[in-house]
Amino acid sequence: MKKFIFIFLFCFSFGMTSFAQTQEQPRITGFFSGISLERFFSQVEEKTVFRFFFKKEDVKGVIVKLQADDSKLSEVLNAVFEGTDLHYAIGANNAVFISKGKKLQLMLSDDFFSNVQNTNSEGSAQVGDAFVRNNRFVIGQSTPNQKKAVLSGTISSFETKEIITGALVFEKVDFVKTISDKNGKYTIELPLGRHTIYIQNLGGYIEQRLIDLRGDGELDMAIGESIYSLSEVVVNSGVVNQVSRPEMGVQTLTVSEMKKLPAILGEVDVLKGILVLPGVNSAGEASVGFNVRGGASDQNLVLFENSTLFNPSHLFGFFSAINADMIESVELMKAGIPASYGGRLSSVLQMKPKFGRTDKIGGSGGIGLLTSRLSLEGPIGEKTTFIAGGRTTYSDWVLDYLEDKADFNASRASFFDLNLNVRHTFSDKDKLEFTGYYSQDQFRFDPDTVYSYQNQNLALKWTHYFNDQLEGSFAIGKDAYAFQIVGEDNPLNSYELGFGLTQDFLKAEFRQEKGFDHVIKYGIHLNRITLDPGLITPYGAESIVIRDEVEQERALETSIFISDEFEINDNWFVSGGLRYSLYNYFGPQTSFVYPAGEPTTNENVIGEKTSKNGEVIKTYHGPEFRFSGRYSLDNQSSIKAGVNSMRQNMHLLSNSSVISPTDTWKLSDEFIAPQTGIQYSLGYFRNLKQNQFEFSTEVYYRTMRNLLDYRSGATIVLNDDVEQDVLNTNGKSYGIEFFLKKNAGKLNGSVSYTYARSLYQTSSFEKKEKINEGSEYSSNFDQPHHAVLVMNYEMSKRFNATLSGNYSTGRPITLPVSKFVYAGSERVYYSGRNAQRVPDYFRVDFSINLEGNHKVNKLAHSSWSMGIYNVLGRSNPYSIYYTPESGVLKGYQLSIFAKPIPFITYNFKF
Amino acid sequence: MRSTQLYILGLFTFLIWGCREPFEPEIENVQGGVLVVEGYLDSNGLESILSLSRTAPIGGVESFVPETGAKISLRASTGQLIDLIEQKNGQYLFERDIAENQSYILEILLKNGEKYLSEPIIPIQTPEILDAGFVRDEEGVEVFLNTQGNQDADDFLWTYEETWVFRPEIRTPYIYRTDSKVVELRKEEEKIDLCYKSVVNSDLLLETSSRFEDQVVFRQTIKEIPQGDERLMERYSILISQKAIDQKAVEFWETIKRNTDDIGSIFSPLPSIITGNIRLDGNGNKPVVGYVSLGVVKQKRIFIDQREVSPWNFNDPAFDDCFISQEPVYIGSAQYFSDFGTGSVLPARELMQGTTIVAYYTSSRRCSDCTLYADRKRPEFWED
Repeated sequence: MKKFIFIFLFCFSFGMTSFAQTQEQPRITGFFSGISLERFFSQVEEKTVFRFFFKKEDVKGVIVKLQADDSKLSEVLNAVFEGTDLHYAIGANNAVFISKGKKLQLMLSDDFFSNVQNTNSEGSAQVGDAFVRNNRFVIGQSTPNQKKAVLSGTISSFETKEIITGALVFEKVDFVKTISDKNGKYTIELPLGRHTIYIQNLGGYIEQRLIDLRGDGELDMAIGESIYSLSEVVVNSGVVNQVSRPEMGVQTLTVSEMKKLPAILGEVDVLKGILVLPGVNSAGEASVGFNVRGGASDQNLVLFENSTLFNPSHLFGFFSAINADMIESVELMKAGIPASYGGRLSSVLQMKPKFGRTDKIGGSGGIGLLTSRLSLEGPIGEKTTFIAGGRTTYSDWVLDYLEDKADFNASRASFFDLNLNVRHTFSDKDKLEFTGYYSQDQFRFDPDTVYSYQNQNLALKWTHYFNDQLEGSFAIGKDAYAFQIVGEDNPLNSYELGFGLTQDFLKAEFRQEKGFDHVIKYGIHLNRITLDPGLITPYGAESIVIRDEVEQERALETSIFISDEFEINDNWFVSGGLRYSLYNYFGPQTSFVYPAGEPTTNENVIGEKTSKNGEVIKTYHGPEFRFSGRYSLDNQSSIKAGVNSMRQNMHLLSNSSVISPTDTWKLSDEFIAPQTGIQYSLGYFRNLKQNQFEFSTEVYYRTMRNLLDYRSGATIVLNDDVEQDVLNTNGKSYGIEFFLKKNAGKLNGSVSYTYARSLYQTSSFEKKEKINEGSEYSSNFDQPHHAVLVMNYEMSKRFNATLSGNYSTGRPITLPVSKFVYAGSERVYYSGRNAQRVPDYFRVDFSINLEGNHKVNKLAHSSWSMGIYNVLGRSNPYSIYYTPESGVLKGYQLSIFAKPIPFITYNFKF
Repeated sequence: MRSTQLYILGLFTFLIWGCREPFEPEIENVQGGVLVVEGYLDSNGLESILSLSRTAPIGGVESFVPETGAKISLRASTGQLIDLIEQKNGQYLFERDIAENQSYILEILLKNGEKYLSEPIIPIQTPEILDAGFVRDEEGVEVFLNTQGNQDADDFLWTYEETWVFRPEIRTPYIYRTDSKVVELRKEEEKIDLCYKSVVNSDLLLETSSRFEDQVVFRQTIKEIPQGDERLMERYSILISQKAIDQKAVEFWETIKRNTDDIGSIFSPLPSIITGNIRLDGNGNKPVVGYVSLGVVKQKRIFIDQREVSPWNFNDPAFDDCFISQEPVYIGSAQYFSDFGTGSVLPARELMQGTTIVAYYTSSRRCSDCTLYADRKRPEFWED
């Protein structure tokens, strides 16, 4: 195994060497959880070239408790020394002098400069930038009667040594400003005296220089160039360092990272972005449903802040439901799911909404071949900010165009979605946040049948800071999902079929810090679920279709949870949680009665039972454990382990292998018990080269009970007695994941590899039917090998190119083994469920992003993103099947994106 | 509704960059030879056939492997035993009026000694087809029926057989006698300008009557004939068979239907394992395919004439190149013997000089001989 990792690393880093950066001033990275200052110094000395000089008695009793991520030493020390009487001075050769009471003066005397020269250059590698920032440069020699002096010089990049054009140089008090010319030269006239000069490279850090201007002179300045581009970059502060976090299996993608991935049809896709992560795969192309660690797609809790999205896709899954402009970051929890989340078995996908900028009203948008989007954000008054956005499609012309060729008629597909997020800050202690989402999809394949579905989410969250230690949040909201099918093939048989699901929730959560080493979270969640499994009604006056309705299902989920994060010492960091879930299934409901212990088949029905309104028909309850622990091997590496148990009270009934709009949900009832699962995982995490590389490997094993599979010929739509068609199934999955990510540099990206299995087995007590005679079989998403490579090359701030490759074993499929003649035609005979596989999947995508120029007074900043999806044009079969043609069976393979698909989108921001 | 419309979603795939390519995966034929039983046995004493066969390798040429030499009988709950008589090719004849108020078990004893039993079968009296007809619209012709279910007969399975008049593109009254090398008018039994084409269709149409008011299935579409189709080039007939089946049979037929029609598109259901109501005695897990029903088949035949639907504008592009030759072939010329002698060119029209035929304009056999495509024999049921 180690060898393998090594080769992986080798390959990846070899590719990087030619683009490697010039080594900069050493920076500090690491998690320091309450160690002594002396120990801190020795740890920093181990990792960097800094050498500390101090008196032991001066630093006694000072505790370092912070997390540094590529921070400058001065920043770290400022933080450590805050509130103490200690001072530091950084001298040449990275010597750091700690003194008590008074700062050690390392500065040279004024005479030194005036005697030797009037040009200062600070570019030399020996001089730390902290030194440069805090040093006061003496410029020029004073001449009598002079009031003002001219300061000039060249601005260059600290990292690349190249000159910087267009950098803003301004003086702090009077705001005298200038911009460096094409040779990096600047000239500014200032009054004599002491000044603070700020230098800002657009999109980069602001740097400062202290000067004592005594006459005309030159100051050449090297400033840090960041890799930031115009698209906003969000650094999630909670996710600073994967090595030091206690929980495992958690990965965060910022929207700016996602924007670099090639998207289908030029639309940044929130859910597609997570498919590059190890342990996440998708059953089929163009499906938003994703599978995490061998779990079904309905076992993922997709949350937009507090709201649950029941159908996270648009246009049959070609786009995901949430507009990426509304999102700050996406976090996927595959294991180590905090106790504050529950209700699904496999994973939690938490999308954090944006609440709008505070400085001014602005907006952004995009125009692509199939979709457009527009959003507006900004402050309303001093305390309120908002962001509103919408997306719509105009794909019909493409369908029309394609139909001419394909000789199909009247296909239509459209969608739109709307978002509104508002935040109001009452005071330092209280804020209120509103998130709202509505989406509507409508499509048809022939003029007679129209499908549509809607997502609707509203939530209000009030956060209150009781004191420094205690924070509480209270959320209330409503999630709704519904779909309709209207069939008008024949006026007499016209119908409307509908499904609906509503969830009302109340959440109260508290976060309490206790001492320095405990963070306790606790709370209660209430979820009232109302589900209309199916209703068919006549459509139109002539229709003779009889109204038929599957009885409404109601349930209440009550969960309480408590968790604690405890830093035992430098090495040990544990977090544990307990969630207790109580599930009540309510009447009114009429259901069949079966003899105890007998299979729930139609033949075994011995009666009917009617429950009254509000009567509790069935209660399920049970605890869920979440435990994870971290042991730090050193500042750069750690080992983590975790155990998670989960419960899920709702089931998605789907007889197809991807989420389709006609899939319905089912609540656990007296026959169908909640799904339960437990996952054990172990991982090794290591950061390399000052966090430039993140490496992790995790192994996991999980078992699941009460999953649903379907017996042959099962009917899902308008089925009053689903218990007769489903089979109680056990699941098991295990795997190993490797992930290597390069965060910085011109060439960055990630590579991931997963080996995983996902197996099902009909429960031993299930008597209706035993799939594959009761032996284990592959689940629909059992794809053992899965590898993803994403490479992003930033040629300049305005231009970056991304290449991504995706490989996985073909998904399991049930293929016919023989044929026979029945009812006048050849028919196929299927045997073992999922015994064969479609051919392996391999796809390469390419995209480039072009940013417009960065002129300050431009109306809008714009960018183009274009690329090609499936560059190789490989036809990856989604499925293989046989169908009779003139009575003779023909085999076909079906691919979805069988050709390279170019796309282009124009994005703008104002 | 639930079986067709809900699953046509997959069509969309072809519209957006979809790609369907022929594919022949390599599959080991591990499970060849599963017993297949098919039959709807008439309880009113009409001739009906039970067919026994075996599944065949998927890549093979043969798809029907008959199972011969079996001893089959129907055992009534009273103990009465009715034997089926083996015909050729795995067909077993059943012809007995049986009591409809009891249940029966079909017993199959194969020549290899295996004994298969059906689950108890109760005969179902299929109600009459109330009415069958057709409507003409811009798409073509839609054949429909109306029927009504009752307490015993709720679910229906319809199958149909089609027959139509097939005319060649060019009709010829003449025949060339290869022995006497003379062209004569065709005798009645030699005519090749009127044939009858028959197709047994593999479509399975299922509907549940209780979905509708008073269990009336109104205007159930049986067959859609697209505008200009060959079927209505002159006269068309369709025989619709209506069978009432029980709930488990519906599941069986839906599975058969789904497995063949609806598999492979994005939103398709997963393939199901086909079983039925036949089990190996002593081992219920051994796979067997087939659902045997007892009952009465109700049939209705309708005729549609081209005049009733005109303008029909039938045109088969395959015969677009069919013309009567411009140049006549003179009797006695070298071409006369060579062309007509092979049989691939037929004399079509005569060239008269005075009252004498001196030559024939010709047409190719494929344009004039309907027996290449259909059967000359006029079906017994045919009405003009």
